[in-house]
Amino acid sequence: MTRAATALAGASMPRSRLAPWLLLAPAIGVLAIFTGYPLVQSVPLSMKQTFGPGATTWVGLENFAAALGDPIFHKAVINTVLFMIGSVCTQIPAALGLALLLNHPSIRGRAVLRLLFFSPQLVGLVFVAVLTRIAFEKSTGIVNTGLHAVLPMWSLEFPWLEKHVLATLVLASFWMWTGFHMVFFLAALQNVPKELHEAASIDGAGPVRRFWVVTMPAILPIASFVTMLSVLGSLQLFELPYVVFAGGGPENRGLTIVTYLYQTGFESGDLGYSSAIGWLLAIMLLFCSIIMLLAGRARHA
Amino acid sequence: MQRDGAREDAVRASRLPLWMECIPPGVWVILVLAAASLVVAPMLESGKRADGKVMWTFALMHRTMYAPILNEWNRTHDEDMHVELRLLGIPALERRMMSGFLSEIPTADLIEAERSIAPRAFAGPLESVGFLDLTDRIRAEGLDEAINPPSFIPWMSRGRIFGLPHDVHPMMLAYRSDIVEAAGIDVDAIETWDDFAREFARVQTDANNDGTPDRFALNFWPTQVEALEALLLQAGGGFFDAEGRSIVACPENVMVLARMGEWMAGPTRIAADAQEFTAMGNQMKLDGQVCASVMPDWLADIWKTFIPQLEGKMKLMPLPAWEPGGRRTSAWGGSMLGIAKSAPDHDALWEFAKTLYLSDEVARALWREGDIISPIRSHWSDPMYDEPDPYFSMQPKGRMLIDLADQIPPRASSPFGRFAQLRVQDALYKLLNYRNSRPDATRAEMEAKAAELLANADAQVRRQMSRNRFVGGGS
Repeated sequence: MTRAATALAGASMPRSRLAPWLLLAPAIGVLAIFTGYPLVQSVPLSMKQTFGPGATTWVGLENFAAALGDPIFHKAVINTVLFMIGSVCTQIPAALGLALLLNHPSIRGRAVLRLLFFSPQLVGLVFVAVLTRIAFEKSTGIVNTGLHAVLPMWSLEFPWLEKHVLATLVLASFWMWTGFHMVFFLAALQNVPKELHEAASIDGAGPVRRFWVVTMPAILPIASFVTMLSVLGSLQLFELPYVVFAGGGPENRGLTIVTYLYQTGFESGDLGYSSAIGWLLAIMLLFCSIIMLLAGRARHA
Repeated sequence: MQRDGAREDAVRASRLPLWMECIPPGVWVILVLAAASLVVAPMLESGKRADGKVMWTFALMHRTMYAPILNEWNRTHDEDMHVELRLLGIPALERRMMSGFLSEIPTADLIEAERSIAPRAFAGPLESVGFLDLTDRIRAEGLDEAINPPSFIPWMSRGRIFGLPHDVHPMMLAYRSDIVEAAGIDVDAIETWDDFAREFARVQTDANNDGTPDRFALNFWPTQVEALEALLLQAGGGFFDAEGRSIVACPENVMVLARMGEWMAGPTRIAADAQEFTAMGNQMKLDGQVCASVMPDWLADIWKTFIPQLEGKMKLMPLPAWEPGGRRTSAWGGSMLGIAKSAPDHDALWEFAKTLYLSDEVARALWREGDIISPIRSHWSDPMYDEPDPYFSMQPKGRMLIDLADQIPPRASSPFGRFAQLRVQDALYKLLNYRNSRPDATRAEMEAKAAELLANADAQVRRQMSRNRFVGGGS
């Protein structure tokens, strides 16, 4: 490189350094205004009782203490964790099973089936929630009438939306998200080298053995990612119970942490308490993420 | 060396100007789009504030009713006093109203708020309520006498009135006269809910012999929380007293909840869930799966619109009382017109509010378009209320409702109303579980269980209220 070229490169360096920041500036600006500032503001807000800027009282950690001793918050946490367990334990294996099935070359109409399983994503969560509400109604809902037609002893009055609220939410969520997770697994399965399967076959491994020693290790990073998505998404569940039950449902059986946060903040107007609940949820999410990251690292090691 | 110099010159010559090189083409595209948006967006804005006043309402029917009065007002007043009426959905109205009140930025000058949302504005200190305090104006002009007094109570907080009432909303019991008369039931002999449960049990049938009736006497379920609250109020209970204290566990509520438990579970079950505003609920009413429903005046119009096939098959009767000689009505729903404190020209807005809400024209439109009784007592002598209603088998529905209007129970508002409503709903669900597990439970046992559940609900409401240092007293 000549001196001139070096000089030119040096001269253009500050300009090229400026360009990425200029490109990022709009996004950073929007994030700073609509995410960063509210996030920072929510810390002091969680330590206040407030009704507009003219009526604010500092309460310290009282909101956090109240939340930790609040039986409704406890119920919301238990519901959310149970929903998360139910969702992850049904959706992930089902999504993987569907992906394995639809990845098999002998299955006809794979493209149509993929679209079919993915289709709840196309209509959106609110639409799925509205359909859930209709489908699980007593007497007239398609779930009870269908089950009654197949199993005459099944009561048309089976109270899905009154007593089996979490089960209903898990089923609705299964319908919504299994196809979505399946797409990730399909992409991962299509990247597993065929040579590895051939080599394992030559070594005498059967399909089950090949799945565990070839397929699973290859798709494990994607499986971890999908599981983390599912866990974090489940912990933030809001729209589904909000649309199906307009809140927490009978006896708060469908109350989730975010639904309770919404109720306290936007229905009761207790923004300080709501912020405290938000931070407690953030701590839970952080905790889950760290556990999963550590588990991933340990597995990798 | 010379060659290097020439290359350097060539490179310099081919370089773009510094200001263009600093900002890459992609950024230019973004900047141009941003600038264009800044110019075009204000031109596209449809919600541009009018020069005059703005009023928000949540009901299409109200907008239609108000149009002639509004046109007349705008014709006879200067442009700065013209009123533009905007229709918003209830959730949108609630959020915009509360965002404005909480952030102390101007909202609409006049806000027509429904009972479920207006009390949210009362959660802070009295001086932070976003509505103008109308108490002195109302008293000075004698409107507290002219308007049915219970109609003011939902719009009061700590003794001050923040809205002009739009309605009374007395309730009656609507029943399928074709079915009830065929069963030989004399509704005039029914005075109490116990009478009703006993007599109307005769309309229940189980055609397919599966052990569950396919026709129920009453449309009532814990999902219908507003109706639940109305029946508690009828008994003299409710959620809050006039001072805003929780009365969730009061003996009247215990008695009502225990009987509701008997209605909805066990061998004495007479109730099923045919919810209002749902196609499924309407079909159940049409099919005669439920025979009687509690009905405020406004709901009559909803039924006429969505279940017109029931014309001539329905009749009305006063609500059965909870005790002999007790109150035969209650109230469900309601709306008010409030003036935003942040709005200029309070006096002019007050004049407009009175013109709109106290006019004969609106009172007639309320009745003709929405089956809603005017809250202004002087209007009650209007012969239109005596006209027979074909939907209700030619009964003079208006007169029947007005005859009950004096008995409307006081309905105290509270920012904790929704919270209390959900806690009492939970208590009722739990009571149904108890009843299902103990179908032979006596009334005394049901009342003991109801008392226990309501005490728990009351504790939760008080706990929630105690956290509010502005209203609930707080620690």
